Amino acid sequence: MIKITGLEKIYRTEEVETVALNKLSFEVKEGEFVAVMGPSGCGKSTLLNILGLLDDPDAGSFLFNGIEVAKFNERKRADLRKHNIGFVFQSFNLIDELTVFENVELPLIYTGVKTSERKKIVENVLDKMQIMHRRNHYPQQLSGGQQQRVAVARAVVNNPKLILADEPTGNLDSSNGNEVMQLLTDLNEQGTTIIMVTHSEHDARYSHRVIRMLDGQTVMENIMA
Amino acid sequence: MLLNYFKIAFRNLLKSKGFSVINITGLSIGMASAILIILWINHEVQYDQFHEKKDRIYEAWNRSTFSNKLQSWNTTPKILAKAMQQDLPEVEKTARVNWQDNYLLTVGEKSVAIDGNVVDSTFLDVFSFPLSKGNVATALQDPHSMVITEKLARNLFGDENPMGKIVKLNNSENFTVTGVAKDLPDNSRFKFEFLIPWAYQRTIGNDDENWGNNSTRTYVLLKQNASFDAAQQKMKGMRKKYDPSEPEGEMFLYPISRWRLYSSFENGVESGGLIEFVRIFCSIAFFILLIACINFMNLSTARSEKRAKEVGIRKVVGAQKGNLIAQFLGESVLIALIAGLLSLMIVQLSLPAFNNLTRKHLIVDYSSMSFWLAFLSFVILTGVIAGSYPAFYLSSFRPTSVLKGTFRKIRALVTPRKVLVVVQFSFAIILIMSTIVVRKQLKHAQDRQTGYEKDNLGYHFLTGDLEKNYLLVKQELLASGIASSVSKTSAPLTEGWSDSWGFEWAGKAPGDKTDFDRFCVDESLAKTAGLQLVKGRDFDLQQFPTDSLAILLNESAAKAMGFKDPIGQLIRDNGKEWHVVGVFRDFILHSPFYPTRPMVVEGAKGWFNVIHMKLNGNNGMAANLKNMEQIFKKYNPAYPFDFKFVDEEYANKFEDEKRIATLSGLFAALTIFISCLGLFGLATYMTSTRVKEIGVRKVLGASVGSITSLLSKDFIKLVAVSFVIAAPIAWYAMSKWLDDYPYRTALEWWLFAIAGLLALMIALVTVSFQAIKAAIANPVHSLRSE
Repeated sequence: MIKITGLEKIYRTEEVETVALNKLSFEVKEGEFVAVMGPSGCGKSTLLNILGLLDDPDAGSFLFNGIEVAKFNERKRADLRKHNIGFVFQSFNLIDELTVFENVELPLIYTGVKTSERKKIVENVLDKMQIMHRRNHYPQQLSGGQQQRVAVARAVVNNPKLILADEPTGNLDSSNGNEVMQLLTDLNEQGTTIIMVTHSEHDARYSHRVIRMLDGQTVMENIMA
Repeated sequence: MLLNYFKIAFRNLLKSKGFSVINITGLSIGMASAILIILWINHEVQYDQFHEKKDRIYEAWNRSTFSNKLQSWNTTPKILAKAMQQDLPEVEKTARVNWQDNYLLTVGEKSVAIDGNVVDSTFLDVFSFPLSKGNVATALQDPHSMVITEKLARNLFGDENPMGKIVKLNNSENFTVTGVAKDLPDNSRFKFEFLIPWAYQRTIGNDDENWGNNSTRTYVLLKQNASFDAAQQKMKGMRKKYDPSEPEGEMFLYPISRWRLYSSFENGVESGGLIEFVRIFCSIAFFILLIACINFMNLSTARSEKRAKEVGIRKVVGAQKGNLIAQFLGESVLIALIAGLLSLMIVQLSLPAFNNLTRKHLIVDYSSMSFWLAFLSFVILTGVIAGSYPAFYLSSFRPTSVLKGTFRKIRALVTPRKVLVVVQFSFAIILIMSTIVVRKQLKHAQDRQTGYEKDNLGYHFLTGDLEKNYLLVKQELLASGIASSVSKTSAPLTEGWSDSWGFEWAGKAPGDKTDFDRFCVDESLAKTAGLQLVKGRDFDLQQFPTDSLAILLNESAAKAMGFKDPIGQLIRDNGKEWHVVGVFRDFILHSPFYPTRPMVVEGAKGWFNVIHMKLNGNNGMAANLKNMEQIFKKYNPAYPFDFKFVDEEYANKFEDEKRIATLSGLFAALTIFISCLGLFGLATYMTSTRVKEIGVRKVLGASVGSITSLLSKDFIKLVAVSFVIAAPIAWYAMSKWLDDYPYRTALEWWLFAIAGLLALMIALVTVSFQAIKAAIANPVHSLRSE
């Protein structure tokens, strides 16, 4: 599903040049659950942004379902993204002014799904995530675990082929964290490809494979039992 | 999707109430000002545009050289209409209109003094004043027919049908109502309440064929598809052909549709006119609106941090930049809509005061579809202007940075925002400077010596029997001690009604066309008006019966005529020979903004329209008026008593300038208010982002003063820059404005310094309120957070 080869990303300010990704290459197959680990500043987040088509690489190739997307413009990237990729963030990133229902509904609006159909899909997802009873609440009225469930609901509402999770349990206590990891595992078992950045060895154990990064390069890959 | 946008917009409005209030208040005030100005402009632009045949109606004008200047004017000989019908095949109809005059109309016991016109019977056909009763083609055929407006019909006859009823004109002749016209629109040059036919003029012998008597207006309707150029060409030579006394004079046709806005002539060609005011007001409306929009832009972008996360999330879940631009524009249009509805309320509340100021009867026609369409486009335009910059700014955020929390706005004012604040304050300072200059000019002219004593001086027109009974009235006014001196004159002292270049005197240079104001008085003008005689004496018919052919000159006239010793000189005018008995110091007859002109005052053999009275100040004004009214009623029972005070009439000469001063003051205040509203919002936001910095500085020993100045100085710098931009613009504009006034005040640098200081102080107060609040806050609180 994803094949990157020789990916490079360099951040420049006036004085400093930081190499975030240094000729990085790897492959993720459809249906895989991959964890990316490494110390702060190793380039994990940059990698995730590029995989999520939020950012473009300076050099290298990025094949998404066999299509070269490294040189896509913003419009094309947005288009590909909204149909294929869901995001889960450490800090949930829900819109404070929208209710639970409206937050989950958002991706459907941008892909142009009709109102009546939207309602059905969103209710179905909220039901699955067991937050239906909170549908009219605002994010601030929810616990962290509930907020992350809403975020996961939003990530999957479009039925994406790929979910990118950026330390999804980082802001949660362990029981809530486990719940979220279970949700991701369930999704993966239903066929969704998941790439997750994490600091937690515990969370990484939920994945099939761990890619370890240092200074913008992969240093090791372990297959989880 | 739209619903989602509006939901978010509403929730954002409610969440940050302070900013919403600032935004909506500023926008609604700006929009209300713009709507009022647009109403006024619309009214002016529509002036006399309701005549169905307006594109074919022209007015006959003259141009000729006087006092070495090519002058243009629109009074014509009565015979011109006939000549045009003969000589110009392009002419379909002509319609003459005499000067509007005040007449006494009597129905039974009821008398009203009211304005009317004498017009050709074609008038109602050429111009569109629809009749609700009667026939346009025949209404003014009979010499004693009369068309009245619906308003006058109600006044005279109540609910009765006025058709066929008899109205007595000026207490002498009876007219029959043959038509009722719909009330006149406010924006027409014609202000009549009734019309009587030209045929009546003929019956009283007032239809001369003298080409030298230019006393009527001649309108002409050209045939459909007739060549205007061909008609104009023939028109040019009319004067030369028929008036041998004026071989150099030219006539021309002038479209009535241009009269209101463009008919200011200089050297025989159009040189602007009201259109200049329309343009100025247009730009003021635009700028006030822009300034309100700038508030919105500045506050939206300053608070962008709060929206950045939302932008990031929306992009991550699939929003294109276009979606986001649409969302933010939708939001600003929504705010503009709320502000717009509020502004309609403001307009409704302030319209009476605005009408009073502009002397109009402007209304908002809420039932008209086109009004709501215009309003809606106005709201959308405002929303788009206000929202454009924030929309592009906000929608360009990159989700990768805003969602990671690495996104931090630089706390200083960024450049575009600086520019916008400078635009606001430059405009505000220009308006303040203009207001100060206009007020100074007004004061300058008001302080000018009039040249006569206005106190206790008044006049009354010689209506009805007053002329006949003048001597009796005068005697009684003097005997009863109401007045200390009484004179009859040709015109009020505050108005010149006659001028001529036809005077002859010994030593006049051939070809001298100096124009003199001509005034007539029976006697004792110097005493009644309190003129200052510099040579000779006042008219005195008791002592010198030959004073009926005496003449007084003002100093300018004596100089213009080149007299070394003016007393005893002979001057010919109107076929009579007058002898100079005195010279008086110039007084202001016309505009207090212009130098006085040479003036000639002729004695009792002249013609008279007005009675002037110097009242006895010891009696008390109420008693004087009451006793005067009794005397006037006794000798002129049919006409109402309508006494006018010279000082009040004189004060009217400043109406235009007073209005300009009030309007520019008002706009300056509004601009400053809206700008400060925005500045207050910005300052609030800026200080809130620097709370921590302020805390640290205080802990390290900074004083309240130093922190206040730290927070204020950025803003103050911007106001200073605005001053540098505004001063030369205001200087240029105001010296152009003053150029129109030969008698004018000096532009001095300190006027501008005052305006700058004023703006600076207002800005300082606005900003320092927030700055001081932040500076005196206990640092413990600010440092504990985060």
